[in-house]
Amino acid sequence: MTNFKQIEENLKKEAKKLLEAGSVAVVLAYTKGADEKHPQPFAAKKADDVANIIFNEYCNHNLARYIVRYAPGTKIAVAVKAADSRAVVVLIQEEKIKRENLILLGIPVSGMKNQKTGEIIDEKTTGGLTNPVVYDVLLGEEIHTGKPVSPYTVLEQYEKMDKDARFAFWKAQFDKCIRCYACRKACPMCYCDPCFIDQTKPRWADKSPQSHGNLMYHLTRFQHLAGRCIDCGECTRACPVDIPLYLFHKKVAKDCEEMFKQAAGMKIEDKLVMVDFRVEDSDKILE
Amino acid sequence: MEFEPKILGIACNWCTYTGADLAGTTRLKYPQNLRVVRVMCSSRINPSFIFRAFQLGADGVLVGGCHPGDCHYNTGNLYARRRLAVTKKILDFAGLEPSRFRVEWISASEGNKFAEVVKEFTEHVQILGPQTKFKIAGVS
Ligand code: SF4
Ligand code: SF4
Repeated sequence: MTNFKQIEENLKKEAKKLLEAGSVAVVLAYTKGADEKHPQPFAAKKADDVANIIFNEYCNHNLARYIVRYAPGTKIAVAVKAADSRAVVVLIQEEKIKRENLILLGIPVSGMKNQKTGEIIDEKTTGGLTNPVVYDVLLGEEIHTGKPVSPYTVLEQYEKMDKDARFAFWKAQFDKCIRCYACRKACPMCYCDPCFIDQTKPRWADKSPQSHGNLMYHLTRFQHLAGRCIDCGECTRACPVDIPLYLFHKKVAKDCEEMFKQAAGMKIEDKLVMVDFRVEDSDKILE
Repeated sequence: MEFEPKILGIACNWCTYTGADLAGTTRLKYPQNLRVVRVMCSSRINPSFIFRAFQLGADGVLVGGCHPGDCHYNTGNLYARRRLAVTKKILDFAGLEPSRFRVEWISASEGNKFAEVVKEFTEHVQILGPQTKFKIAGVS
């Protein structure tokens, strides 16, 4: 279990050090929101801001989301939990940021909670990881729970569903969508401008929240996140109508891992599977 | 009346489309359910084309490209293979029969194979019946 108070203190200490020395322009962390259960992402830009930084079990936001907002070359320090660090790796692979412009303040996590339901999220999302895959400073002790959890076990019941039942399940889910695009806004990998769904030439789908436009939006988004989604689960937690998007993203991630033998965002040297190929890729994957 | 499926074909200019031409000039017979769109390369195919085709009433979608290793642009079809494999998995998990979507490598000299594939795929989709899951109500 993460010692949240200790992490908060270390985070403040590191942030202060970095900002005072001027080695970064901004530290991406968390601050108090409406109440303890609703912390907010926070960009600390000067040493005085550091007092506002907090960290607790509800700090779910994936702060890698905010990296792309800064001009190229900006030195940024980011507080990264396990899944967030993988998002950073993907952003580096996609050349959205250079490793040398980043200082990663790693946070080992166990016992994070969903803001809405209060349930522990570790095993549902975050890829079953507890420690960041890459960091410069680790703000707490590494956590080893002993039993590595497969991020894909939650999928079993959906995989064995009959096709028609699965279609009915997803149709009911997507029909709830109000097209607020909070999922896209929360996702560290959704930075395209414009997003395909906002394009008018061609107009890929209806913009009103109707079945067919929703289906098009979601299926295309799943495709665009293939080999890039790092299972932070933020899309799902951001969704006001609780569509379990993470299930679909996990499924695509699982298929990619099986077909291409590589999980997203684990190593900076890896090439993204969708912009790569092997001559020995088999036609079996198309069956 | 027997169900006549609507099938969208997307064929690459250099191999499959030329193969289709060959099938034509050799006077091979194959079902007329296929409507072919020509693209310059199978990697030109945006996966959203596939989703959209099903929404706009396709009962099946057939993509044709050069054999791996024979791509006019060397590696286009190798990227396309990975991309479209994911598309197929997405269709499957969304609950659509993934066999309504097929990718075949057909070279410019394989007029026979083109006719065979179209025939076989059309029969397959015929058995599956009309595709109603993704189809937008009212499109014909
Ligand atoms: S799709 Fe969802 S789980 Fe995947 S990276 Fe984006 S926000 Fe995280
Ligand atoms: S957050 Fe939920 S309701 Fe909003 S666009 Fe995404 S899936 Fe739809």
